[in-house]
Amino acid sequence: MSKVTQALPGVDALLPYGGAVLLVLGGSYFFPQILGLDYLAQQLQIAAFLGLLALGATLVILLGHIDLSVPWVLGGAAIVSTSLVGSGDPALAGMAIPAALLFGAVVGVINGAGVAILRIPSMVWTLAVNSMLLGVAVLNTGGFNPKGEASGTMIWLATGTVAGFPVAFVVWMAVTGVMALLLTRSGFGRYLSAIGYNEKATLLSGVSTPSVIFAAFAIAGLCSALGGVMLAGYANQAYQSMGDPFLLPTIAAVVIGGTSILGGRGSLIGTIGGVLFITLLTSILSVMQISDAWRNIIFGLIIIVMLLLQTLRRKDP
Amino acid sequence: MSRSEHPIVHLRGVSKVYGATHALSDVDFSCYGGEIHAILGENGAGKSTLMKLVSGVIQPTAGEIEIDGELTRLKGPSDAISRGLICMFQELSLVPDLSVRENLMLGAVGTGLGRLNADVVKRAQDILGQIDGEAIGLTTRVADLTLAERQQVEIAKALTRDPKLLILDEATSALNASVVEKVFRLIRAERDRGVGVLFISHRFHEIETLADRISIFRNGAHVETFDNGAYDYGAIISKMVGQRIDDLFPAKPKADPDADEVLRLEAFGWSDRLQDISIVLRKGQITGLGGLDGQGQGDVLQGLFGLLKGTTGRCLIGETEVSIRHPKQAKDPKLGIALVPEDRKTEGLILDQSIARNLELAALGTHGIDAADKTIYQPFLDALELKCDSLDQPVSQLSGGNQQKVALTKWLTLGPRCMLLADPTRGIDVKTKTQIYALLRRLADSGVAILLLSTDYEELIHLCDETHIFYQGRIVRHLTGKDVTAEAIIAASLNIPATTERSEAANA
Repeated sequence: MSKVTQALPGVDALLPYGGAVLLVLGGSYFFPQILGLDYLAQQLQIAAFLGLLALGATLVILLGHIDLSVPWVLGGAAIVSTSLVGSGDPALAGMAIPAALLFGAVVGVINGAGVAILRIPSMVWTLAVNSMLLGVAVLNTGGFNPKGEASGTMIWLATGTVAGFPVAFVVWMAVTGVMALLLTRSGFGRYLSAIGYNEKATLLSGVSTPSVIFAAFAIAGLCSALGGVMLAGYANQAYQSMGDPFLLPTIAAVVIGGTSILGGRGSLIGTIGGVLFITLLTSILSVMQISDAWRNIIFGLIIIVMLLLQTLRRKDP
Repeated sequence: MSRSEHPIVHLRGVSKVYGATHALSDVDFSCYGGEIHAILGENGAGKSTLMKLVSGVIQPTAGEIEIDGELTRLKGPSDAISRGLICMFQELSLVPDLSVRENLMLGAVGTGLGRLNADVVKRAQDILGQIDGEAIGLTTRVADLTLAERQQVEIAKALTRDPKLLILDEATSALNASVVEKVFRLIRAERDRGVGVLFISHRFHEIETLADRISIFRNGAHVETFDNGAYDYGAIISKMVGQRIDDLFPAKPKADPDADEVLRLEAFGWSDRLQDISIVLRKGQITGLGGLDGQGQGDVLQGLFGLLKGTTGRCLIGETEVSIRHPKQAKDPKLGIALVPEDRKTEGLILDQSIARNLELAALGTHGIDAADKTIYQPFLDALELKCDSLDQPVSQLSGGNQQKVALTKWLTLGPRCMLLADPTRGIDVKTKTQIYALLRRLADSGVAILLLSTDYEELIHLCDETHIFYQGRIVRHLTGKDVTAEAIIAASLNIPATTERSEAANA
């Protein structure tokens, strides 16, 4: 009995990895180059952007909340960093990355305030924050693509390699490592899922639940901002709505990774698997010679199948 | 009082097996119309399984069920309800986010496919009026009701369904004596018009006043059925637990009125809900809080644990005046206050998490305690004899009594100076009750000050050193020593002057 309950999260988290391996093997039947190191390294690099966003989203979803401000925290961080670099002032350019991260953390704290203090449902509050950020960005840029460029560091973070690995992937793994330590070595991780299961009982256990909520949203904002900085380095520019395509895949990756959308149960390892799965699925579908319409239908179907596998398996005693 | 000739429900050789657990084995049992039949047994004795079988929630693994003399297989709860077997479960079955009115109409007689039967609401209101529930607003969300109010709505809902057999599983656990008496009057009226009543309660005096017949269950087996009054307390308890528990309550040492003060409340108030509350908790003493439901006892505990905003008055811990604003501050070793909340399923524990995770939650981050070290919990778990497969088992799999043991242990490891307990034995079997009573007394002896809110006046009499009785947000009586009697508690709860309490109690 006890062994089963302990093993459960492990299986949840491993499922997307199994799916990813199947995708690679199945895809290589049609396109042998998929098994090449170049292709796989490129996938790890691309997965890193989604991966950073999904790390932050995992914390918020574990808490039983959701962060819909991801797109414009990402976009805003990209605009802040590229504009500072584009200003030409070396002092300002040096501040580009810290300023963008600070921006993300501040928006995260605003998100946390709405949820923890004003008690507004996170789905509504973060959507409103996202919308306001969009408005602020349009006011500043007049609706055109913002001027500016990425710094050398940003480009290196997004496209460089160390010891054969893409730097982006290494950054993703480093952030994962730090976060895993935070979740397992401090009370923070316990508090997160305790609140996700039952916020009232957690408060009554003498936990300062608002500070946990603040911290989770702030970290999520930091992650989204870091993703934005790196994506701006990848594209060497910031552009309007660059974050929009990331919102739903982020949430899908977390849920496919076995984290309950209702909060409480879940793991970082699972999220990484979910990110790899979604990235590979998108990539393999795009190299297949099929129409966009079918590509979307298949993408949706496979996501549903993965989620069904997760739910059905859990129902079995 | 005349019972029907044939049983409404008759079980023959019924067994129910879950995996390796025999919840019920080879049970013969029958319940007749026109009688109130009490079921007694420890938690895990098979009472709830029996109720679930009769109400169609589960199917027997072996054996037969006859309803009205006809061999039947209940297809589900709705099948049972249509046959007039109406059950009020221990886990309240109201939908929290719907209003009282909507809950009353859900699945009511004559309702279905968009047709709603408004008469039901009128009848329910009438019943609520008879059990002190007239103040419950029909448009109120059930989630906003107190536990006691929810039970009153449950009772009204069950009675509007024209039961043939009414099954009450801990239906009155959160109600206090005077409301319970009114509920009993209704139940007796149902019996007198031929309805059969199956009644589960852990309060002996309730069973004694209400039941016509009593059946004892132990470890999934039907031990004996007898007429009420055939045996005394002691004999009944020993049949339930298989061994004799001589005394439910531990011996009460003589209270020391000059023991050190641990906590002192002076003129404590909170908006118009609490007024002028003054309580002194002393080292080694168990102080009781009694009274009708929702008279402010619960608010005092919440206020002391930093859950209420805008309280007035003074609170002293030892010699220093403090203002407690948050549970985190309350549990800090400097104050050392612990609260075991009223509803263990939603407030005291996180049901989906393991025992170990639940135990850690209060201790985590507390200076000088290694919450991850499981050995620190073991002495308390041993003292309470927690029954579980392993500490990694989800708390939801434990019985109510064992859940409460986890909820208590989680705070005991912090070594609190002052423990606040909100009705810790509600819906718990006799054996666990005695374990908890013994533990509380031991804690008191070791110097902890205990503030015990209880809806069971036996606890106030036999366990507490002194008792404060609440009425409408005020303390109306402070009872100590020999003055703590059932009559005095009931009279004070109803705010009847002390001089007339004897005659009032005699009339009741």
